[in-house]
Amino acid sequence: MSIIEVKNLTKIYPGGVKAVDGISFSVEKNEIYGLLGPNGAGKTTTIKMLTSSLKPTEGTAIVNGKDIIKDSLAVRKTIGIVPQDLTADEDLTGFENMYMFAQFYDLSRAEALKQIDKLLDLLELTEAKDRYVKGYSGGMRKRLELGIGLLHNPEILFLDEPTLGLDVQTRTRMWEYIKNIVKAMGVTIILTSHYLEEIDALADRMSIIDKGKIIITGTSEELKGSLKGDIISIICNSQEQAQALSSYPDGIEPPVLKDSEVRLSVENSDKDLAKIFKFMIERKVTPLTINVHKPSLDQVFIKYTGRTIKEAEGGEDARKTAMNLRRLRA
Amino acid sequence: MSGLIPLTVRELKKWYRSPVFFFVGLIQPFFWIGLFGSAFSGGGGAFGSIALDNAKNYITFVIAGVLTTTALFTGMFSGINIIWDRRLGTLSRLLASPISRSSIVFSKVISSIARIMVQVVILIAAALVIPNGLEFANGFTLFSAFVIVSATLMIAFIFSSLFSLIAVKMRNMQTIFGISNLVSLPLMFASFALFPKAFMAGWLESVAVWNPVSWSAEAMRNVIINGSAISSSLMYSTLGYLFYLAILTLAVLVLTYYVTEKEIRE
Repeated sequence: MSIIEVKNLTKIYPGGVKAVDGISFSVEKNEIYGLLGPNGAGKTTTIKMLTSSLKPTEGTAIVNGKDIIKDSLAVRKTIGIVPQDLTADEDLTGFENMYMFAQFYDLSRAEALKQIDKLLDLLELTEAKDRYVKGYSGGMRKRLELGIGLLHNPEILFLDEPTLGLDVQTRTRMWEYIKNIVKAMGVTIILTSHYLEEIDALADRMSIIDKGKIIITGTSEELKGSLKGDIISIICNSQEQAQALSSYPDGIEPPVLKDSEVRLSVENSDKDLAKIFKFMIERKVTPLTINVHKPSLDQVFIKYTGRTIKEAEGGEDARKTAMNLRRLRA
Repeated sequence: MSGLIPLTVRELKKWYRSPVFFFVGLIQPFFWIGLFGSAFSGGGGAFGSIALDNAKNYITFVIAGVLTTTALFTGMFSGINIIWDRRLGTLSRLLASPISRSSIVFSKVISSIARIMVQVVILIAAALVIPNGLEFANGFTLFSAFVIVSATLMIAFIFSSLFSLIAVKMRNMQTIFGISNLVSLPLMFASFALFPKAFMAGWLESVAVWNPVSWSAEAMRNVIINGSAISSSLMYSTLGYLFYLAILTLAVLVLTYYVTEKEIRE
């Protein structure tokens, strides 16, 4: 049975901005489920509704067996959240922040201290625990937020853009922390991100969300598989050679010839490369460069939305929607 | 009310760890007494004493009003802190945890009351030590202490809660500053807090009798000036003011609880 069941969830903000438009999906226990989409796509609004901090305009969701509207308090007791913003209090120490949140969940002092110690250790914050949060780096603050979200051993953890604003190195380390936590605590994770590589690295299954709607759902492999194969791009020594190579017959789509470059679409480049080499030797084709393009989530996003994530974020409409949503949520 | 204690502890820690905010709060009472109180101290004599409800000097007269207006102005900040929490995203996280919604607001109200009580102690101490300052000419009784403490607690609760309520749905810092100033000044001047009734225009006096700032100031003034020599009619009128304040406190408590539980949003 699914641990989260979302049915026709819709949010229209006052002023008529439709942030989430009738989405439905389900999440299985102990999986990492990703919501991938550009800024302003409706990911954070979805998380806010699932964590019962925002009331849906239509539809509902069952989170851990409880209705988010009728039984919101019970929902809040079993979930943890790591919001996009850095919410830990700067004037308190890391430990004080964690202890304050531990008290919200009716943990005894002994239980709270044990859990805080364990999380500080897992997140490598033990040495910094008595320092004021205002002295923490961005990465440390994000780790602290993660720790706060896990204090009460939640069944489900919502991670809303957990690495937003971090540099690439710190982001990769954060992924390791998230993976370690899943291993150590066995928690179901709902993860939102507009970083393709983040969702690809962490999520077992994902939905691509754009303009408030879910476009497609599946595993990374399934979504990439829907692109029908790999692309092998070969630049030949001459246009004649390229012409000869463009008659390669075993592609899944007709080869594309452009000057001395040929782009072959094959089902699986690992298997087809040997066949292509044999064909090139027979036709006396001497390649200058060979590039294999495995399908990426970026290509998946392009296929289903007609634009890249960066274009979606850079577009005037998306920018306006994101700004409006931030203003409405702020 | 789950979450109230840890959230109140957080507020108090933030207060005493913020040196500027902390010391400004402590120094401000000295300005009130030292500058404002002394500004009117020249008009002494028998006439002055009669106009000042038989107080020995203006500071003895005005201290009750200053205690009340301190509660009014410090209470304004409890609302501002809610908006800060909203802007920083902290409110959003608190709302996603299983605490009582109203504990978020009441924690700020309680810490605001604590700040006000500290200021009140300093104010009284300052008024006692300055030349021509506060004089308990007729003594200081247990009843005096009860009236001063309960009136300050209630007026602090009322204003801290009301300013927090304004902030419950507000997102803009400038708006709350504007509203707070707009509300505070008439509350202060259309009252018996700082000026004797004898100096007041008739229409203003008829407005001031309905102002809770007047109730608090008058109740405290009665016991400060009269001490053990308080007449039974003054004692009843003092208890009457405390009764009005208690009714208003209860109404504000219920209103704050209801509105924050139902209406507070990130």
